[in-house]
Amino acid sequence: MSARAGVFAVSCSREQPKGAMTLQRERQLNQFLAGVERRALRFAEIAVRDRDDALDLVQDAMIKLARNYAEQPEDEWTPLFYRILQNGIRDWYRRQMVRNRVMVWFGRGAQEDNDYDPVAMAPDPAGRSPDELAQTGEAMQELESAVGRLPTRQREAFMLRTFEGLDVAGTAVAMGCSQGSVKTHYSRAVHTLRDALGEHWQ
Amino acid sequence: MKKPNHDEELARQAKELFDDSVERLDAATLSRLNRSRQEALAEIERTRPIGQWARWMPATGVAAAAVVAVVVWQGVATEGPLPPTDSATDFEILIGEDSLEMLEDLEFYGWIDSSDLETNGNVG
Repeated sequence: MSARAGVFAVSCSREQPKGAMTLQRERQLNQFLAGVERRALRFAEIAVRDRDDALDLVQDAMIKLARNYAEQPEDEWTPLFYRILQNGIRDWYRRQMVRNRVMVWFGRGAQEDNDYDPVAMAPDPAGRSPDELAQTGEAMQELESAVGRLPTRQREAFMLRTFEGLDVAGTAVAMGCSQGSVKTHYSRAVHTLRDALGEHWQ
Repeated sequence: MKKPNHDEELARQAKELFDDSVERLDAATLSRLNRSRQEALAEIERTRPIGQWARWMPATGVAAAAVVAVVVWQGVATEGPLPPTDSATDFEILIGEDSLEMLEDLEFYGWIDSSDLETNGNVG
């Protein structure tokens, strides 16, 4: 076998596993997204208080992760995904602020969505009674409301650490800040929530 | 509900409530999430070939431009200046009305030719 033929053979033998590896990577990404999508939706929904907008944000985050970071190591996907989602949520807030300013300028104040129902009226998989469900739903609504009133960075730190179970390092990547900042924001968030929820959670 | 005594207890209760709300998502929402995931995975398929081609496009463009430049330069260097053509004259002949009429009166010119022969024969 000539040297050129040998190079060609090596090149071909590399291409085949690469294609197989890509398919495997797609399966891994599918598995990752399937595992994270529900929690990500609730995460976004608590932040923006609108399910349709939350669905759009999650879809954008999924697409951006698949488009730009599919080749990254799998253990980096979670913080990367939540960083993309966080950026999307921040952009959403900026757009809302601009929209509200425009509405105020035109004499129409920002509409309060007091009829927002954070818990979908779906059958309970755990088979609880309506009273128990109502109690749980009310507690969740109080929690969401309290979390929603937190400053942005505190809310992000609390939700990533508590709801998503990210460690300090992963939360720092997702928030784009230092680990020390994550600890500070998280600690302040917990203290604020404890004060806010204390009267309800008895 | 029991009042949380410390930070871990509050976080535990909050996580329980969050997990519960995740489990209670309705079927329509889950379906939309599934569609979103499929669209995200399809994005990989859409971008992969473009990405590979895009990686080689600058090199391919430079190589193609170099080949064109060499071919043009070689052609100019070997052939030299072209001789002046008489294309204008050829064109006038082609579009001239006389030539077209001649083609239409082939029988007439054939008769003249034969009569000349006869005349010459008579004379000669």
